Amino acid sequence: MKKVIITLAVALLITASAVAFKNVYSCEMPIQNRGIRDAVNTGDLDVLFIGSSTFRANVDMPMMDEAYDGRVYDISYGGNQLVATAIQYEEIKKRSDNEYGLMVFELGPMMITQEVALSDSRVIWDLSFPGKTALWQSMYEAGNTDFSMFYEYFVTSGMDDLITFPITERFYSTRYYKGAKTDESVSPGAEWLENEEFDISGKELVPAQADAVIDIIEECKRDGQPFVFLESPCYYRLQEDPAFERFRGQFIKLLDENEAPYILASDVDFDSHEADYFEDMNHMSAAGRREYTKELIRVLKENGEKLSQAAEPK
Amino acid sequence: MSLISLPFLIFMLCLLVIYYRAGAKHQWKVLLIGSAFFYLCANPVYIIFIIISIVSTWYLMKNPVKSHFIWTIVINLGLLIIFKYSVNFGIHDLIAPLGISFYTFMTLGYAHDCYDKKIKPSDNIWHYALFISYFPQLTQGPIGTYQEMQEQLTAYHPFDFQRIKTGGYRIIIGVFKKLVIAGRVGFYIDTVYSSPGGYGGLTLIVATLFYLVEMYADFSGYMDIVCGVSDMLGIRLKENFRRPYFSKSIPEYWRRWHISLNEWFNTHLFMPSVTTKWNKKVANILSKAFPKAKKGTLRLIVPTVIVWIVTGVWHGARSSYLGWGIYFAFIMLVSFCTQSYVKKFNAKIHWNPENRFVKAFQVVRTLIFLSFGEIIYRSESFSDTVAIFKNIFTDTRINGATIAAAMTPFGNGNQAAASVLIILVLVVAQFVVEYAKEKDEKAFTGHRYVYALLMIVGIALFGVAGKSNFMYQAF
Repeated sequence: MKKVIITLAVALLITASAVAFKNVYSCEMPIQNRGIRDAVNTGDLDVLFIGSSTFRANVDMPMMDEAYDGRVYDISYGGNQLVATAIQYEEIKKRSDNEYGLMVFELGPMMITQEVALSDSRVIWDLSFPGKTALWQSMYEAGNTDFSMFYEYFVTSGMDDLITFPITERFYSTRYYKGAKTDESVSPGAEWLENEEFDISGKELVPAQADAVIDIIEECKRDGQPFVFLESPCYYRLQEDPAFERFRGQFIKLLDENEAPYILASDVDFDSHEADYFEDMNHMSAAGRREYTKELIRVLKENGEKLSQAAEPK
Repeated sequence: MSLISLPFLIFMLCLLVIYYRAGAKHQWKVLLIGSAFFYLCANPVYIIFIIISIVSTWYLMKNPVKSHFIWTIVINLGLLIIFKYSVNFGIHDLIAPLGISFYTFMTLGYAHDCYDKKIKPSDNIWHYALFISYFPQLTQGPIGTYQEMQEQLTAYHPFDFQRIKTGGYRIIIGVFKKLVIAGRVGFYIDTVYSSPGGYGGLTLIVATLFYLVEMYADFSGYMDIVCGVSDMLGIRLKENFRRPYFSKSIPEYWRRWHISLNEWFNTHLFMPSVTTKWNKKVANILSKAFPKAKKGTLRLIVPTVIVWIVTGVWHGARSSYLGWGIYFAFIMLVSFCTQSYVKKFNAKIHWNPENRFVKAFQVVRTLIFLSFGEIIYRSESFSDTVAIFKNIFTDTRINGATIAAAMTPFGNGNQAAASVLIILVLVVAQFVVEYAKEKDEKAFTGHRYVYALLMIVGIALFGVAGKSNFMYQAF
């Protein structure tokens, strides 16, 4: 009996320690080339992108580096949500006194239709404990939680990364540079892109995501933080889809109502019909990434001063 | 009530307390009430059908004459067919009662044994009801026989802490296999098999191998849990697995996988079919077509086909299950028919069956044939099966791009490497344990507290929450 109790107690102790470590200290793990900690450690930045895998795939960081003299970073997570973006913004502001010349948030029309959820376990890793609980609170308020999700969020999610950290970190860190992808991804070809099926007609605006957009705008204005919402071009089939255009319209209306600056895909000279530029419907190939980044730098430089002047503390 | 859930844990704790406090006269009654409660928790309405099965079979087989035996078959198989195959008759909202496939087999096995006078019919309907409804084996087996179970179920089992520990340890092993191993590889398989046409050969091979791991971890994990639960109650259930993936042939594999089901088919369908007059007639006709073939072998052909088609259809009303049954019927027949030629050939080339390389070759060969069958079984449609085989045989390349593609179903790039590493460690660890036990049954029996500790931590930190439904529960 004594041995059974000791075994259970030790198991509980080990589990509790691992859970506590993950929830409290994971944001301090020495992660290279991606994430909030690495971005903060880079120091003052001229441009900081915060978005989803679209930003990760579509922004060429060596080109950005050259244009901004290394003062640029891309924080991105798979399927990153606007609710999470708002929390990530707060986290960045809390964790350093760095200056950010311009924060670029993602104007992803589909982002306002996403149910509030955990899209990428890296989000949990990068957030401090208060950040984690804030995101959980948002999920809870949206009614998207149950016990198994709670357990996954606070216990199991990200444990793989924690236990394999010494090995996998070396592998991961080579795949990114300042948060953006480094691989030479190629297009699957026009035939694939033309035949890829998608149906977004049944989606609807999710109020919590719309509220998060307003939160981001209000906080940036309060902090006097220059910012802009950026729409990345998608392959023309998605870009011109009526439902997609409807969501874009809703997003833009939200930004207009709250007097927030934005750059649309159509403001950047980029050919969305060119199949070679896309890896799938909304992620660019290496060729597309470079072509797009070249134009994006020009647009950002043109608008940078205007955006900085617009950001007066309120 | 899932076996991996808080309600089941509470149920077990209450049951153990009441069970061991009950005297010799009442212990089995506690089990019967506990089993009824367990069944009622699943769906109260469906207890009616298990009661119909129990009462009719017990009553009819009190006098085990041919007409009663036939009526027992009609009633029980009728209920099974109505509930399991109603979809094929255009009825879509009928949910099969929990464990109907398994308790129907136990019922029919009992009736057949009574009819064959192998056992004396039960004279106590409550004892018989407990044999059929005993909750650990009710939902997924093992399919126990009346001879093995009855005495144990009604005997008095005084409290023994050693038994609780042994049972508890086995439950931990089962939960670990289910939530950590099966749960983790399951994501990969579900992703790939939901649209297999879009994946290359290498990814499909990995998914199929993972499916073998998932099936074993899921099903044997379940058996570990129910055997552990039953051990705690002092009742030993039949072992359903004997490291099947180390089998050197497909027939051997089926003697080591889901043993109780295969024994049931062997005893109640295969052997009786072999000795029937019509089968002898068929064998005579076949012997004219194949004069060199042995009559004994020819007599196995039709029963083998029947057993495997029934086994396939027993899994459900899907063409893939039927295809799976036909595939294994074919493999078994080829195995029977070529056995003597293979032996002669092996002797000719001085092929030593005890050589470990020969054994390894045979094991790998068996796994390959098994994988083909499981592809048919797991595919959601015939066109998926074709697409998988086509891609495996025409589009399997190993290079950087295909390896990267094979990593994709593990999750996005942020998690893939860690998942791969964890799964590799788990699969290798399971292989090491199974291999050691294949060599020596007593391997890994020491240091139980250390293993239990590691497994509990593993379950807590790496278990896939919300994946507590077992694969065979659907049958």
